[in-house]
Amino acid sequence: MEGMWARVVWGPLRQLGEQAVATLSSLVGILVLILLGLLVGWLAKQVVYGVLRALRFDRLCDRLGVGMLVERTGLARSSSYLAGEIVQGLIVLTALLAGLNALGTPLTTNLVERTFVYLPHILAAVLVLILGVLVSRFLGRSVLITAVNANLPSARLLAGVTRFFVMAVTVVAALDELGISRTTIIVTFAIMFGGLVTAAAIALGLGARDLARDLLLSQFRPKPSAEPKDTMHHL
Amino acid sequence: MAEAILSEHIAETLGGLGSLEVIVGIPSFNNVSTIGQVVKAAQEGLANYFKDRKALIVNSDGGSEDGTVEAVERAGTDTQALISVKYPLDPVHHLTTPYHGSPGRASAFRRLFQIAQAGQARALAVVDADLRDVTPEWFHSLLEPILSSEFDYVAPYYTRHKYDGTMTNSIIYPLLRALYGRRVRQPIGGEFGVSGRLASHFLKEEVWNTELARYGIDIWMTTTAIADNYKVCQSYVGAKIHEAEQGLDLSAVLVQVVGSVFNLMESHDLAWRNVLGSLPVPLLGSPFAVEPEPVSINRQRTWSSFQQAVRDLRTVYEQVFSSQQLKRLESCAAAPADAATIPDELWVSLIYELTLAYHRRVMDREHLLKSLAPLYLGWVASFARQTEGESAAQAERRIERLCLVFEQLKPYLINQWPLGSREKR
Repeated sequence: MEGMWARVVWGPLRQLGEQAVATLSSLVGILVLILLGLLVGWLAKQVVYGVLRALRFDRLCDRLGVGMLVERTGLARSSSYLAGEIVQGLIVLTALLAGLNALGTPLTTNLVERTFVYLPHILAAVLVLILGVLVSRFLGRSVLITAVNANLPSARLLAGVTRFFVMAVTVVAALDELGISRTTIIVTFAIMFGGLVTAAAIALGLGARDLARDLLLSQFRPKPSAEPKDTMHHL
Repeated sequence: MAEAILSEHIAETLGGLGSLEVIVGIPSFNNVSTIGQVVKAAQEGLANYFKDRKALIVNSDGGSEDGTVEAVERAGTDTQALISVKYPLDPVHHLTTPYHGSPGRASAFRRLFQIAQAGQARALAVVDADLRDVTPEWFHSLLEPILSSEFDYVAPYYTRHKYDGTMTNSIIYPLLRALYGRRVRQPIGGEFGVSGRLASHFLKEEVWNTELARYGIDIWMTTTAIADNYKVCQSYVGAKIHEAEQGLDLSAVLVQVVGSVFNLMESHDLAWRNVLGSLPVPLLGSPFAVEPEPVSINRQRTWSSFQQAVRDLRTVYEQVFSSQQLKRLESCAAAPADAATIPDELWVSLIYELTLAYHRRVMDREHLLKSLAPLYLGWVASFARQTEGESAAQAERRIERLCLVFEQLKPYLINQWPLGSREKR
């Protein structure tokens, strides 16, 4: 009778208790890891923020145009603070994943593996976006200044179009890196770009045929200008 | 050092000539139409004014392919006193065009200084090969102050039309004067005289393979002569008539010339930081009786460039100028060309803000300097309106007033310039 009690009742209960203790210890372990991650993350954020501020990282970002972007989007109070928050987030995420991995279940192990495989793509996409913002601002400003110096009346429009296309290419590249509906995005972009060019060509051909003719004529067969010429030597 | 760099043939020629007193250097690059006249003027100048001194004319050529060197040989009557040397042109020299003079101008100067050093010359005069109006008197003006008065650097003082040299008048001269405290009216004249002592000093400087040498060698020489306390003077020469500036890209000129001044401000900040006011530089000789070429300015076009820039480049200027300065610019731009005015105080404060923005690298430096082009055109239109109907002397008095404002506002620049920035770099 006692043997039956031990086998049927106490055995499963002991097993359940052991499993509960093991699970509880895993949960405590996760909690400790997360708390540790939060603490280390907070410390890392303070260090990164302090070091970057000392190195005048904000000024560099302002020069590159990133500072204004951070300010306008309200992401953080400054670029160096944002960098600190990114570092903190990465550390907390790593701690969380390490904790989940410690559970050792197939579900959590699979989740951790997939996250680690996907993480580089996210980082690459963010880098592509940052680079795109910088390039679009630089090229936009180049076009703007050159167009103003050439007295082109639509200087701001040209600069805006330049920035738009660089950003459009950047977003497509970033989404492509993330693997989000790759084909759809590329096709959409191609259709949009082709559509814009076609629309512009039709508009010019139908609505501004004479203007186009005059522009080409003035470019390749310029009439002698009636305006007095500058003969000054700058130096 | 010079002997090692000069070719054997040149060293041999120089050795045969013995110790020289005077050298005339003529840098050239495809100047077949004008160089013969320049060489003849140099020969006449040496014969008329320095016949008792051992002299040499050196044509330093950058590899002309239009017969320039042959034109020099044809023009030379006394081959003993005339040599042609070649200076190397890097691929960069072929790709980029300096604001004036021949490509690789610094290399040409360096070669001339080496020859002066090797020949132990007391004085060297350098004139551009593209000059159309050079006379024998120019060489007397550039060499005599060194030989008789022990000056080290002779800057030219031209007779110019009131609208000629507008960039020199609005930015280069007033800024250099306020910075270094010496009134050299034509700091980037192109022609100059230099003593053997200063030529050797120039050769020792590590500037020759830099961008500064490529684009701003004239400004560098003037600045170095002043900052290193050499004896500097100015000497009257005639009217400055160069070949026409065809298809000149104004924004590129600003990048090269103003960029060179700003770069020198960074490397010489210890030399200008404690200077307030300015001192006159001796002006020798007497004005030549020459009439400068007439110059015309299309005020409507230059002012509309300024107006467009104030409207379209606001996002750029916001990063450089204060909101108050922007408001004042907008107020100026609202006026028609007939009333074009940029007050001196505003202009000077804009230039000082630009130097600070350049130093702090608030944006790409080339963008910053190129964005100055339409503002400069605005100043030109304003100056042309203010001096309409005025004589050259009256216009010169306006430039003098502008210079004084540059000097009065200099303490602001000193206060805003980061302390110890040189050490930090």
